[in-house]
Amino acid sequence: MIAEQLLSNLAQGVVLGCVYGVATMGLSLIFGVLKVVNVGHGAFIMVGCFVTLFFFNSLGMSPFLAIPAAFLLGLGIGYLFYHSAIRRLLKAPELSTLLATFYMGVILQEVVKLMYGSEYRGFNWKVGTLSLGFTSLPMAKLYAALGSIAVALLLFAWFRKTRAGTAMRAVVEDDEGARVCGVNVNGVYALSFALGIGLTVASGVMLAMFLPVGLNPYMGAEYTLKAFVIAVLGGLASPYGAFFGGLIFGIIENGSYTFLAAIPGLEPFSMTRFLAFAMLLIILLIRPTGLLRAK
Amino acid sequence: MMRNVEKYLPILPVLVMYAVLFFIGLTMPGMWQLMATLLFYCALGQAFNIFLGMTGYVDFGYVAFVGMGTYGMAVTITTLAGSGLGGFTVILGYIMALVFSGLLSLAVGAVALRLRGAYFAIATIGVNEGLRFFIEGTSLWGGSEGIIFMSQLNQVLGDEAASALATFWADVLVIVIAILAAVTTLIYMRSKIGYALTALREDEDAAKVMGINVTMFKIIAFMTSACFAGLVGATAWALKTPYVFPPEVFEIHYTIEAIIIVMLGGAGTLLGPVVGGLIYGIGKYVLSVVFPGFQLLIFAPLIILIIVAFPDGVVGGIRNKFGHRALGRFIL
Repeated sequence: MIAEQLLSNLAQGVVLGCVYGVATMGLSLIFGVLKVVNVGHGAFIMVGCFVTLFFFNSLGMSPFLAIPAAFLLGLGIGYLFYHSAIRRLLKAPELSTLLATFYMGVILQEVVKLMYGSEYRGFNWKVGTLSLGFTSLPMAKLYAALGSIAVALLLFAWFRKTRAGTAMRAVVEDDEGARVCGVNVNGVYALSFALGIGLTVASGVMLAMFLPVGLNPYMGAEYTLKAFVIAVLGGLASPYGAFFGGLIFGIIENGSYTFLAAIPGLEPFSMTRFLAFAMLLIILLIRPTGLLRAK
Repeated sequence: MMRNVEKYLPILPVLVMYAVLFFIGLTMPGMWQLMATLLFYCALGQAFNIFLGMTGYVDFGYVAFVGMGTYGMAVTITTLAGSGLGGFTVILGYIMALVFSGLLSLAVGAVALRLRGAYFAIATIGVNEGLRFFIEGTSLWGGSEGIIFMSQLNQVLGDEAASALATFWADVLVIVIAILAAVTTLIYMRSKIGYALTALREDEDAAKVMGINVTMFKIIAFMTSACFAGLVGATAWALKTPYVFPPEVFEIHYTIEAIIIVMLGGAGTLLGPVVGGLIYGIGKYVLSVVFPGFQLLIFAPLIILIIVAFPDGVVGGIRNKFGHRALGRFIL
């Protein structure tokens, strides 16, 4: 009985983990290239969720089409925020960028609240379920996981095959060196920030499949914390690490639920959240480069 | 002797500001509530400035210490309500608030202060949420139900005294805490601790090489700042509104507000938190009156604009300009 429950939770964890992974790649990319900590991260995911809602409810289109739209919207928001504030704060002390990114998140929350109000919304994409014997997975979630893997692979190819991607890797490695070699470092900063935000907003489309009634302008805060745990798991500065960190996190979060629920006197849902925070501190303490050896 | 007095002159403008706020609240009808809110912001900024301002480390889970202080007071009053200790219970509550926030800061500091810069901010980003979910998950101190101790507080102090405390004396105590925090800041600034912290804020590696025990001084600043946050929580929250709910008392917005106040006034300056607290508090109040419901939409871009345009804050900017004149002796 408990084994079956564990298997079912683990399967859910793997599927959700893929989405967690892609939802964190943007955070790691921005931190890796610009050393900027985007504490408004969750709000950008939230925007992606509402783009999906708009496509599905208002336009009656498939959520798949929302992925490129959300990505382009995120790219635009990213460029706008980069040029209006982040660019001027790169040399400033940490607290400036932390405050600025937090308030960028607040701006997005308030704009979405203005458009949709603050009550919970959602949509149900009915595309059947897949039965695995011990559990059944809604196809919508499975598509979200596959979409996440596709986005991650696209990013991987982009990093390896394009000039801009190579330049970005060069800047992560050594920005002064890249500058000397003729890389337009400022351009790479702008592109990385925009790309990071684009990825994050696009990941919101995937996440929306898991929240049939849970979309709200303030839903992002929870995912900000999770994204930081995942990014730390993956080594903070590596988008690939972030993807695998997401998988591990999804498995631990869902797997531990089974065990925590078996302990009397504990409220398992809250304890999985506490576990995430404890993981963050422990990993930063014993292995600040992440669980996966970075490079 | 004269030189010693001159060293501590910069406390005067701080005291004047708090006195002015106090008398505006006392004499102008209907202003007390607004002044109390402003004083809360100033006290929060003054407490956070000891760590954030003096070390340059950004603690993103700072509100956790405010929350722990609130719990310290709440737990003490609920457990000792029937013991007949009277007003002494409140003093014990303050001691527990200090113990709670002090212990938490020791635990968090031991782990997080090994990390620097952005890594420190990331390590502390979940402290408040983690604690909240721990309390809810293990049903500690009432779990997600929180603690409501209105009747116990009335039992301890008597109805009249408790209501006088909530409407007037708690706010006065907030001023006392804010002034204590300011005095502590100045004493630190004028002692070895301040010089060590300035050195490590400018260049931690160099400070280390010079033989400064950076870890010790960071922990001193961190714990002092956390203890003052605990006192603010025990007073401005627990004694004013006798209830504690985990999601409210660990709300990240208080951390953000504390950071903004310190930043607006000028991080690491003595007068900064008062100026920052006033600007932030008045700005928030005016916007919520003029644009009810839209205040955040206007406030958020405004704050980003200020961060970009005035990275040193108001007091930092004034000091850069007038620091060498006679006036400069009073501004720190």
